[in-house]
Amino acid sequence: MPPEHELWFTKILNDVLGGAANSLLETLHIHAENAARPIPNYVAQEILVALIIVVTFSVLRSMLSMDKPGALQHFFEIFHDFTKGQAEEQAGHHGHAFVPMVMTIGIFILLCNLIGLIPSFEAPTQNIQVTLGCAFIAFLYYNLQGVKAMGLAKYLWHFTGPVWWLAPLMLPIELFSHIARNMSLSVRLYANMFAGEQVFLVFLHLVPVGIPVIFLGLHLFVAFLQTYIFMLMTLIYLGGAAHHEEHAEEEAHTP
Amino acid sequence: MRKALTISFLAIALFMIASPASAQGSGMSDKAVAYIAAAFGMAIASAICGLAQAKATAAACEGMARNPGASDAIRFALILGLALIESLALYTLVIVFVKVG
Repeated sequence: MPPEHELWFTKILNDVLGGAANSLLETLHIHAENAARPIPNYVAQEILVALIIVVTFSVLRSMLSMDKPGALQHFFEIFHDFTKGQAEEQAGHHGHAFVPMVMTIGIFILLCNLIGLIPSFEAPTQNIQVTLGCAFIAFLYYNLQGVKAMGLAKYLWHFTGPVWWLAPLMLPIELFSHIARNMSLSVRLYANMFAGEQVFLVFLHLVPVGIPVIFLGLHLFVAFLQTYIFMLMTLIYLGGAAHHEEHAEEEAHTP
Repeated sequence: MRKALTISFLAIALFMIASPASAQGSGMSDKAVAYIAAAFGMAIASAICGLAQAKATAAACEGMARNPGASDAIRFALILGLALIESLALYTLVIVFVKVG
């Protein structure tokens, strides 16, 4: 593997925080690949995205207004309404409780994908570590919500399927398919971003000017689409995991 | 049925032509086989992904033509289906990159 080209932001972080990062890793008994530059590119870009999100939302919060909402507030209102609509469609009446987490994941992944389009930055989601982290967070979240909604025993019981005598067959299949959800969420995002970049580089190698712009456009479209797919799959898993006791409610509502 | 039989006979003939190379022992190194297998694997995955997405798009177009009022719902289902089918071909691409580097 050729040594990774270091981006300017990574260089700044390594110069300033290199020692601190090394001591943090030593306390966890992890050895960095390259002790002189312990912070790899993707961690630096993730930190940058987190900083951008924090600054944007601090500014937005101070600018919130009911009478004259600005463009930024409009954008996030549209995003919030869209996510809430999807959540209520996929996860039922209690879907609105899942919106904050899903929207956070969505904004983070969207900004991570989009930052890859700017010349001296790299999309952290091009690395399997980052996407596996996001997928694992979603996995933990939907399992926790399922346990919270139905209780631990009932939640584990619903892995056994519709009838009790299929349980020895259904249980391993269900467990395996839940673990495979991690893989599919992470690899889908990673492969889309990574392949988009590789295809762009191949065409840049062939035709230096003009044609590669088409692939940048494709990367832009795929960035939005994959964010939406990640959020949608998380909401679908949440809907599947967190069946509240809706049957009694539905019977009370129907005349 | 006849077409499937023709294609399978051609595939068997292709394998029989390729087998003397492995009998020699000095014909192809492991790396060379990995490259050829990766290329074929990716081609097969992309081809079948293309077929599946064509079917999905055709069904979506027909649905939208028959019932323009349901366009939004059909478009949503179409985009979701295309992205999930695409991800299957991308899993193959990841394996190619892992094995071939």
